[in-house]
Amino acid sequence: MITASSEDLYRVEKKDLFASGHRACGGCGQALAARLVADAAGENTIACVATGCLEIFSSPYPDPNWRIPFLHSLFENVSAVASGVEAAYKALKKGPVNIIAQGGDGSTADIGFQSISGMFERGHNVLYICYDNEAYMNTGVQRSSFTPLGAKTTTTPMGNTTRKKNLPLIAADHGIPYVATATVDDFRDLQRKVKTALLINGPKYLHILAPCPLGWGHTGDLTVQICRLAKATGLFPVFEIINGKVTNVVKIQEKKPVEEYLKLQGRFKHLFKKGAPLKEVAAIQEIANQNIERFNL
Amino acid sequence: MNTLPLGLAVDLRTVVPYKTGSWRTMKPLNIMQTPPCTHSCPINNDIRGFLRLLADKQDYDEAWHVLTRTNPLPATCGRVCPHPCEGGCNRRDFDYPLAINGAERAVGDYGLEKHLEHKKLIPKRKEKVAVIGSGPAGLSCAFHLAKRGFQVKIFEAQGEPGGMMRYGIPSYRLPKEVLNREIEAILRLGIDLECHAKVGVNIPMDQMIQFYDAIFLGLGAQLGVPIGVPGEEARGVYTGVDFLKAVNRGKSVDVGKDVVVVGGGNTAMDSARVAKRLGANVCVVYRRTRVEMPAITAEIDEAMEERIMFRYHTNPVKIIADEGRVVGLLCVQMELKEPDASGRARPVPIPGSEGVIPADTVIMATGQAVDYDGLEVQKIDNKWISTNEMQMTSIDKVFAGGDAVLGLETVSAAIGQGMRAAEAIEDYIEGQVESRLSPPPVIYSKDLNTYYYQKAHRFQREALPVHIRLKGFSEIYPAFDRSAITQEAERCFSCGLCYNCANCYMYCPDNAVKKAKSGTTYEFDLDFCKGCGLCAKECPCHYIQMTLEK
Repeated sequence: MITASSEDLYRVEKKDLFASGHRACGGCGQALAARLVADAAGENTIACVATGCLEIFSSPYPDPNWRIPFLHSLFENVSAVASGVEAAYKALKKGPVNIIAQGGDGSTADIGFQSISGMFERGHNVLYICYDNEAYMNTGVQRSSFTPLGAKTTTTPMGNTTRKKNLPLIAADHGIPYVATATVDDFRDLQRKVKTALLINGPKYLHILAPCPLGWGHTGDLTVQICRLAKATGLFPVFEIINGKVTNVVKIQEKKPVEEYLKLQGRFKHLFKKGAPLKEVAAIQEIANQNIERFNL
Repeated sequence: MNTLPLGLAVDLRTVVPYKTGSWRTMKPLNIMQTPPCTHSCPINNDIRGFLRLLADKQDYDEAWHVLTRTNPLPATCGRVCPHPCEGGCNRRDFDYPLAINGAERAVGDYGLEKHLEHKKLIPKRKEKVAVIGSGPAGLSCAFHLAKRGFQVKIFEAQGEPGGMMRYGIPSYRLPKEVLNREIEAILRLGIDLECHAKVGVNIPMDQMIQFYDAIFLGLGAQLGVPIGVPGEEARGVYTGVDFLKAVNRGKSVDVGKDVVVVGGGNTAMDSARVAKRLGANVCVVYRRTRVEMPAITAEIDEAMEERIMFRYHTNPVKIIADEGRVVGLLCVQMELKEPDASGRARPVPIPGSEGVIPADTVIMATGQAVDYDGLEVQKIDNKWISTNEMQMTSIDKVFAGGDAVLGLETVSAAIGQGMRAAEAIEDYIEGQVESRLSPPPVIYSKDLNTYYYQKAHRFQREALPVHIRLKGFSEIYPAFDRSAITQEAERCFSCGLCYNCANCYMYCPDNAVKKAKSGTTYEFDLDFCKGCGLCAKECPCHYIQMTLEK
């Protein structure tokens, strides 16, 4: 099915298609992820971006940072817009072209969920990329359905009480050919997944963990380290689902307790205050353990 | 004026990008730092530099030139140095320290094999410098002075150059062939050598001072000092230095069946192992324990492998002679009490514990001293030459270094002293008073991001089996496999210097790390760098550091 050589897939790309001068915070995981994605996808790509941080910081008139065609849509309809672009290319008998729809976790899991589901179900040849920073960072750190258990946001000041929605598995259950998760620390793996996805015909879903220094309460230099810990604790499993089968699971080399991951971030600080009930940390550890068992990390 | 397309108010091609660099409070900088290996090396060899050359380019030729910038005797040091660099290596906190010593030997041997020549830095000057003694300190001083264009002449009291490296170190550790060829390469820089010339005896010191612009004393500690037990005048009693000198000169020494070596230093180990190779049963007598022995650990291990007996807590009292020939050594047992001034436990004899060890030969390797015959300099404790921080002695324009200054030290310490004395002599002759630049700060394990390094096995050198070793004086460690050495060099962390991992280039969210025009390193685009510090955090070798924006 995939015809490119593994050498091509694993080559690290840097083409400056997402240029300097964007207004993201220092150490922004999403800006890093967007740059890696744009460079991996190459020049022959149309980027559709939903409202959110990425759109705000990368596309102010008159100096957008994208060096590829860029289409801004509303919070809820980036998948519908990307579907339209794909249909237009088909109707005009043009192409082939890589169409990438991108959104934050809010526009993916909450507001835009119906349009994603529709796009998957109709089978458009679009790669949907979700930059998961686990809250509505653009509007001021409100809780989304990707906010993990225990995390503090402005709408959950005592810590979130619900679990994170598992969208990769929901997407896979639509029967689409390719679903993957990635983090920004392993850029080689991330770029390989983008390139692999673009070789497959049909709807694809890529879920990227992109730390937000402002919303997560850590300094900008820790972005990569936090991603690494998210993998090492088992809280963020990295895998691919090809035609419904989980493969290429990134195994944990050296397992770490979730405390190491939580303590780096201001949004979990209340869990470690004097007198705080330890059961919340235990519940988060339980989630990590379940992930490890489920995906055989 | 060009007309714009419909609906556009600004021509996007003329828009100047927004310079996000103005947000910055911290700024990344590429800062080269001193690796711990170089810091702990007495010669300050550029170890990282030559290992990177081996790892990246397999360029032994260039590696040899990097190494001989400081150390003129790499093949020798690669064999006899107790490698403090490996003790400093940051990799020891990760898996195992690098086998730097092995790599040095491989590079040194390559230089000998290909007959590589040292390069002069400055063509020629008219100033003349005399170097007295051709041991490691003298050779190193002469080498560095000759590279700087001085006219150098070495005066050697013995018949051949090399000092203790020739007459002290047995050939199973350092083959004479290796030493000869390294010394020849040094002398080819245009250094004169006069053997059998003992300054102070054959040539008066005053005459030397008049004739030369500077003089370096690399006398070494050539005299064996016995501890002064009764019966030392008996036949079959040697000092360690005399014994080694006799064997290394090629004289046949009849040691008999039983040999007792007194002492725990390197000379004692060498004497014991030489005596063992001459076919004797050897016993080393030392008044403290193995922990306090000043000898190089590997030497003690190898001596034990060669079935040399060690008797600790034992001190000689009297040498027992029969018809003027030694037959045994009367010893007393010692117990260790609170530490003395040297920090080692103080041995005290146990009354009534005397016993005799039978011996055909007794070797007293209990201390060495400088041979001051005809030389008048100020001394410390009436033993070692006293020098100032420029390594100048009490006599103007006379410098000194090596064992005669340091006390008993290693070959590499002497080479380091010779090198620094050469710098001081250059400064002295040029009348330079400003101090040289101090090296950048040292980097330690805690500064490194070891996530990006992989654990790997250390290069193990293969020793000959003991029964073959004891048959003669052939070298214990045969030549190393060059590919294994290259592989070992790849383990180097490259502490404090970029090795092109491209982490900064790939991780910068602002795309503000660019490839430098030279194509081998990276530089920062400060117009756009927001100063988040991600590059510095993910730099494995701490080459990138965050500094305050001014």
